[in-house]
Formats: sequence, C-alpha cells, structure tokens
Amino acid sequence: MIAVQRGRIDIAAVVDSVRRQDAGAVVLFLGTVRADLGVAALDYEVYRPMAIRRMTDLVDRAKAKFGVLGVSIVHRLGRVPVGGDSVAIACSAAHRKEAFAACGWAMDEVKRIVPIWKAEAVKAPKAARRPRRSGA
Amino acid sequence: MRVRVKLFATYREIVGRRELAWPIHAGDTIGTVVDGLVVKHPGLGPFRDTMLLAVNEEFAHADVALADGDEVAIMPPVSGGIA
Repeated sequence: MIAVQRGRIDIAAVVDSVRRQDAGAVVLFLGTVRADLGVAALDYEVYRPMAIRRMTDLVDRAKAKFGVLGVSIVHRLGRVPVGGDSVAIACSAAHRKEAFAACGWAMDEVKRIVPIWKAEAVKAPKAARRPRRSGA
Repeated sequence: MRVRVKLFATYREIVGRRELAWPIHAGDTIGTVVDGLVVKHPGLGPFRDTMLLAVNEEFAHADVALADGDEVAIMPPVSGGIA
C-alpha cells in the first residue's frame, strides 16, 4: 500500500496490507504531530505524482536491501492536528531484525527523497479567539 | 517552445503561483529557467543553491536540457514525515 491522502490513516489497514503467512514480524512506525510550543497542527504539501513514484521506488529498494516481504507507506496531505498521525510505515519480514531495520531506513528515505513539505500552523493568540458563550 | 514550471512550499509563496508556463529556446536547461525565474522573482535568489530540481517527475541537475512541454519542478529541500 502506497498512498498520499487527506483523510486520517487507517492504521489497521496499513498493518493488514503487509501481513503474510511467511512473515514472523510486522513493524509499524507512526510519525505523529508533536505539540511543540505554539504549534496547533502541521500542514503538509505534496508533489503527488513524484511522491508516489519515489515511495514506490523506495519500497522496491527496501525489499532488495533488507529482504523484507511487505512494505507499506501512507502519508497525510493537508492539515494534521497535534497528536494526529502524519505518516505510517509498516514492514513485514521473516524475522524482526530486518523488519525494524527496513522500517527505520524507509522513514529516513521518505524524509530525504520524497517531495513532501510541512509548515507549522500556529495557535491563534488568546486575544484573537472568539469568546465562548456560556450556556451554549 | 515552453515548459510548465511547478513551484512548491516557500517558492510557491514567493512567486504567488503553483504553476506557470515559461518560454524556452533550443538548448535551454533547467538552470536557464531557474535563472530567469530568479530575475523575475528576486525573493528566490537566496534559495538558488539549495533548490531541488526535477524534470517530468524525476530529480535532475541544473544542466539537463529541456524540451517543449516538459514539466519542471522547483522544490525546497523535502521535509516530510515528522521531526
């Protein structure tokens, strides 16, 4: 499974996509939006066709390099709030060592060669927020 | 002859457009297009040496020659995933 999508990531579907009878290990990595000071969300921008090409290529390379059986990568596009999942990578392998290694390597490659950019969406200052009405 | 230039993230904000048509002449390279864009949009100048470039969805060096109808992408260093 390779996807760039606006909607939330179905983690169970990502994991299931790499399950195989000859696999003895499945490793799942989730990148989540951290609550850095003033950050309310991250906005992701993607050059979609090239991102899909690069992700497809890196999945093939992960299989060749680590001997993993299945690799899936799903990345969010648009706004992801603090605590949300921005990227999911799942790798299955006969043994856990290859699955862990491939998963870490794949995430590094996503950050290195997949054309995706993020921008911080900052929290509005309190004075600018609309006051809540009581009893609503 | 012309190419389509796609701009992303900071560069899109500087130019004010996601995509534009750019005239080229025989022998022009990606570098030629970038040089022209920097002249027209000086705000791109400080990023000239760190731009990622692609032609028809493949990373490319500035000296790659362009053909009519090519899609050129000018991109900041990528920053997907999480910190």
